[in-house]
Amino acid sequence: MENTFKKKKTFKKFLLGERGESGFVGKFFIYLLLIGISFIFMYPILKMISKSFMGLEDLMDPTVIWIPTRFVFGNYQKASEVLNFWKSLGDSLKVGILPTLCAVISSSLIGYGFAHFEFPGKKIWMALLVGIFLLPTMLMSIPTYVIFQKFHMLGSLKAYIYPALTGFGLRQSVFILIFYQFFKVIPHELSESAEIDGASEVGIFVRIAIPMSVPAFIICILYSFVWYWNETVLATTYFQGNITTLQMALSSFEHMYSQLFPSGSIGIGSAAESFNQGVLFAGTMLTILPLLLLYAFTQKWFVESADRSGIAGE
Amino acid sequence: MKKIKAFFQKIGDFLKKIWIIISEFIRCKLAVWIGKGLKFIGKYTGISWLAAKYRKNVSNKHKKAIAGYLFIGLWIIGFVLFAARPVVQSIRMATSDYAETRVVVGEEGDSSVKFFIGGFGISQFKQIFKDNPDDVEAIVSTLVDIAVVVPLVLIFSLLLALLLHRKLKGIKIFRMIFFIPVILLSGNLLGYFNSYDLLTVSTLQSSELQGMLAFYLPEEVVDVIINVFGKIILILWFSGVQTLVFLAGLQKDNNAIYEAASIDGANKWEMFWKITFPTLMPLININIIYTTVIYANTGNELTRIISERIAPATYGRDYASALSWMLFGIEIVVIFVYVLIFKLANRKYK
Repeated sequence: MENTFKKKKTFKKFLLGERGESGFVGKFFIYLLLIGISFIFMYPILKMISKSFMGLEDLMDPTVIWIPTRFVFGNYQKASEVLNFWKSLGDSLKVGILPTLCAVISSSLIGYGFAHFEFPGKKIWMALLVGIFLLPTMLMSIPTYVIFQKFHMLGSLKAYIYPALTGFGLRQSVFILIFYQFFKVIPHELSESAEIDGASEVGIFVRIAIPMSVPAFIICILYSFVWYWNETVLATTYFQGNITTLQMALSSFEHMYSQLFPSGSIGIGSAAESFNQGVLFAGTMLTILPLLLLYAFTQKWFVESADRSGIAGE
Repeated sequence: MKKIKAFFQKIGDFLKKIWIIISEFIRCKLAVWIGKGLKFIGKYTGISWLAAKYRKNVSNKHKKAIAGYLFIGLWIIGFVLFAARPVVQSIRMATSDYAETRVVVGEEGDSSVKFFIGGFGISQFKQIFKDNPDDVEAIVSTLVDIAVVVPLVLIFSLLLALLLHRKLKGIKIFRMIFFIPVILLSGNLLGYFNSYDLLTVSTLQSSELQGMLAFYLPEEVVDVIINVFGKIILILWFSGVQTLVFLAGLQKDNNAIYEAASIDGANKWEMFWKITFPTLMPLININIIYTTVIYANTGNELTRIISERIAPATYGRDYASALSWMLFGIEIVVIFVYVLIFKLANRKYK
């Protein structure tokens, strides 16, 4: 009798769990939810991968949903030709890396200035910093363009680098605020004792603040790199055709494709040559593949160090 | 599989080695070099002489203030160079009677764009509300849109963060997947996905579901539900960064408080409202601001109208900047209202 009662109890514990710990039913639903939401986030990538390997027949065939009947690798070859892949990749890396370095260096300095010092007018400057983040991008785009023209910054990387160096790069207020939050939690005793030992302000910044805020640097580098990498509207207006990043090449993909592979020729070959989603998605995969690789390598710091990143504030 | 694992392990070790070298380099060499360089410059430009003099005469507080201004000096330079003029100009344009751009050919044959602004008043705003009911409608619908989406994004990101905060097997993989939107949600990629039907999982919007719902409910309600389903996926995509921020906040929480509360007999619901929610308060404010700004600037009714009206042939930049300031106003109103609501809610539970 007692035995069956015990069994019943352990079974109930297994299903519903005890205080504070969820049992089988709870866990089942949580995993269901996790997998469902993961599917939503993975869906575009999975769909693009599957379609990028499909030939025209598979794309037209409504019974083929995920796995192509015949894997076509020609899509990637064509797409890389249309994108002018290696040259565009070089440009993209340049556009991603240089402004990011400038932005991260300047934001860390500015964030440190705001976090570590008390000075008159600090609140006004902080309010301006947030206020500028709130301004609609539409409002600023044309006047900024005119200013860049005046300083002869258009048509080269200068249009990205100079604003990034002075804290006005792409959404740079966010980085400044992240660094601000981060440097604020560094205990004052540390910097004070360093000061007593005769360290200068720059010395404290380089030797104490930077080593203690590596996660913030990683997060800002990743965000900044991704944002610069994916930006197309600003890039096309600022670079004026002198620099073509992967994303810019992608936005004019169809046009370039029709130039490289004219579908004028008649016959069976022309149908296979014509523009289709398979090639387009292969091109898209090529443009976001470097980002996914970067994410795969940095996500460990990114996900685990979230608790030390300081965006949480204190 | 093992080989692959070993391979990645090797890469990881290699990267770690490089990182150690780099960090050592920064800590030892670079700091010394920067110091030496600064000393060198100081010695030969007389700055160090001035500095020595000022060190004797100026109080510590003033020194700190000056150092602070030197650190944020970069930002002030940027503000003066890149931001001050556009802001002032757009205010001036929005409050002008007319403004136009003309291409002026300089003496050396180079052309440049110049503005001509005249008059002062609220005629642009008058024009919006008097002559263009379409634009007023766009403003109202955008306000409603943002006001609906912002709290939904907050709620969803909070739920996702609570999910990811649980200690489960394989949670790290899910965390990695859940932050994919951070990478893909920028530039034109979201609009691109949307235009190729990659965002809406097709079953959610299938006619079958619609038919099933229409059997039980009136048509308008069905439309709303289908709309919300479509929006939910968009909202999930928008809540990547916010989830990260909330998760960071949750991970800072102290477990001891929860244990104490559970000993005192508090249930999970009470624990959430009395412990978790108050600690997340400052983060909620950050997320409200971030969500509003990002959502207001990515493809809604008003931004579409602004980009239409900005062309000189239609209404021109004076009118468009007045509209942009309306968008700014919408952002401020939404942020203010929600921050206030959450503040009041928080006070109630204190």
